[in-house]
Amino acid sequence: MLVRRSTKRGVFAVAIAAVSALAVSALPAQAFSPHSEIGVTSSTIKLGITVPLTGSAAPGYNKVPYAMKAYFDYVNDNGGVNGRKIQLVIKDDAYSPILAKSVTNDLILKDKVFALVGTLGTANNEATTKFINDKGVPRLFVNTGFSGFANTKKYPTTYPLFPSYFMEAKAIGGYLADKFAGKKVALLYQDDDFGIDALAGFAQVGTTFVAKIPYASGSQADPTVIGKWVTSIAASGADTVVLFGVSTATAAALGGAYKAGLAGKIQWILGSVGADPTTIKTLAPTALPLLNGAITASFLPSASDSADEYVKQFQSINVTYGKGATFDNNVLVGMNGAMLTVQALRAAGTKLTRAGLMAAIESQGSKFASAGFAPLGWSKTSHVGYNGYWFGRMAADTTVTPVDGAGKYVLYTTDSSSGPIVKSAIARPAMPAKGLPTN
Amino acid sequence: MRKSKSMSALIFLAVGIFLLIASNFVDELRVYQGAQVAVYVIAISSIILLTGFSGQISLGHGALMAIGGYAAALSYIHWHVPFLASFIIGSFSAAVAGFILGLAAARLSGPYLAGTTLALAVGLPSLANQFHVLGGEQGLSFDIGEAPMWIAHKTGGDFTQYKWFFWISTICAITTIWFIKNLLQSRYGRTWKAVRGNPSAAALSGINIGQSKVLAFTLSSALAGLSGALLAMLLGLVAPMAFTLTLSFTIVTGAVLAGVTNLTGSIVGALVLVVIPELTDAVATHLGGSEKISANLPGLITSALLILTVLFAPNGPQLHKRKKVGNPS
Repeated sequence: MLVRRSTKRGVFAVAIAAVSALAVSALPAQAFSPHSEIGVTSSTIKLGITVPLTGSAAPGYNKVPYAMKAYFDYVNDNGGVNGRKIQLVIKDDAYSPILAKSVTNDLILKDKVFALVGTLGTANNEATTKFINDKGVPRLFVNTGFSGFANTKKYPTTYPLFPSYFMEAKAIGGYLADKFAGKKVALLYQDDDFGIDALAGFAQVGTTFVAKIPYASGSQADPTVIGKWVTSIAASGADTVVLFGVSTATAAALGGAYKAGLAGKIQWILGSVGADPTTIKTLAPTALPLLNGAITASFLPSASDSADEYVKQFQSINVTYGKGATFDNNVLVGMNGAMLTVQALRAAGTKLTRAGLMAAIESQGSKFASAGFAPLGWSKTSHVGYNGYWFGRMAADTTVTPVDGAGKYVLYTTDSSSGPIVKSAIARPAMPAKGLPTN
Repeated sequence: MRKSKSMSALIFLAVGIFLLIASNFVDELRVYQGAQVAVYVIAISSIILLTGFSGQISLGHGALMAIGGYAAALSYIHWHVPFLASFIIGSFSAAVAGFILGLAAARLSGPYLAGTTLALAVGLPSLANQFHVLGGEQGLSFDIGEAPMWIAHKTGGDFTQYKWFFWISTICAITTIWFIKNLLQSRYGRTWKAVRGNPSAAALSGINIGQSKVLAFTLSSALAGLSGALLAMLLGLVAPMAFTLTLSFTIVTGAVLAGVTNLTGSIVGALVLVVIPELTDAVATHLGGSEKISANLPGLITSALLILTVLFAPNGPQLHKRKKVGNPS
């Protein structure tokens, strides 16, 4: 009996020791920080990002955080932001809202980041919103185009960068009506708020489809699912197919279509999220012939357009800091988001606060230099970033050029509502010298 | 006997009050992790009740947790029931599923039962992608809101939502352990132990073995359902990825580490499951390891611990120690 009691005591002692160890290790960071704002010291600014580094959506998108880090390293080596070096804490969420919630907890409570930047995925960002709102953590330039994130009441600390999927669907719908009138069009889309946002956009401009094929996020890894997509496309009699999913879904669909003998029989139109040729080429090399002539919607310049001053500068930074990463849409997206982040931090001044950072974006963000062709719309009343797309055609070597010819970018701007689609001129600030903002 | 029961109730009450007060003095991250520990304690206890005392194996308790989580979220969202009622509905729904599964389980044993429950864990969460009402891969939001104002006032203002989650989870965990502890000392507990020890002898003594097994499966499922509902509360949503096969294995691992016949050990098992990722993350960060290392190392260490436990202390470290000093009870 005596032994039993002492063993029980042992169990409780282990439990109490573990709890105490956890509790004590929680105390330090904030108490000794010389700066009053979380995640900021006199020499550093700590930022966090959640992205899929593993799992079905990882290929391609897993390059985004490292491209951001490469750009931050470049800025750090050139003096940092007002004397502070940027640290980026990268967390893998495997494209799962559940994991995103868990790692965001860690970023905010354990790593104590100042702000989140470039967090990826519609459902993932939605899952973490409540906690982020409660803590007042700025969430900058999210890597998702869900139109809902521009709702300043529901997402007060979130600043979307991409034009919304609603806008993209409207632009694609308008383009289909203009250039592909009378064609039988099918749609493959991700069956969550990402795809649902697009469905609403297509409905807004009255696009009709001979088949709408939803897929559950992650199911693109299942060959039987891909077989069903291809069967549905073939059965619908579609001669034009819009792929509105992640890159791995695009690659899977094109790979499946190639196997089913659909090469040359269908005009493919790729949404911006799943249109990175490098990723598709890597995942489905057999799909290459299908990419020749595919139409893509984009809001950044073509990653293969070395004549573009932003692309040229980012390519140069990638050579030195990118650790051998192939320059593609994902690297371009990452570096562009990082450069905007640097400008936002600079605009917030030397006394960095979370509230000050958000105020700076709202007052000065529309003037920030960025690679996007559409203007940035951030203001005190709107959190909408870009609002327009251009259309390009992919060549056999997977380079993308504007449909009207090399360098002839034509922008289609619109809103996430019933506004018209307007052919707009391209107007963007010049790339800062050496890619280092001076705002 | 009655006196010792009152004393035990008082001890549980004191531990509960101590933990709730302690939540005011630690970082919010630790409060959240404390809530995770409490949820794991309930889940591991459900395995201990089933495996340790009734002798049945389940590798599919993650699926029963999913039923509890989804039922709680759906009733909260669509019927607008109070969150406590949603937990009861979650627990009850899992109990019903457990009862049905238990009817089959009573006829199976060993690898056949393990295989059946495993199939459930693999298949059930993916149902969410078949029915829109379940929210697909994106899941359903389950936000029970903040603590009532009077609690926040009484405890001095800064009462975060995570602290509220910790309070709810801790109270549920302590109540669960107290309930199981008393149950095991009752006629039912003795019956389960008899069936586990020697089914033939138990049957000859007049025990209805099938009924006894079904009852254990149902109660264990109810507890798994409760832990699933609490997990959904902690995460703020229910989605298939919250109830993966890994979760089922994790709680079985926690039970083995605790010792499958050792109820208080569930606290240690739960702590180990929460502490290991924390420690490996700290070590990986300190050594400058990549994000992938800190994401995968906990699984490796937990697996190694599991193998070591099975090899050297198959009844759990606590019972192993007791045996060594000559008192295996």
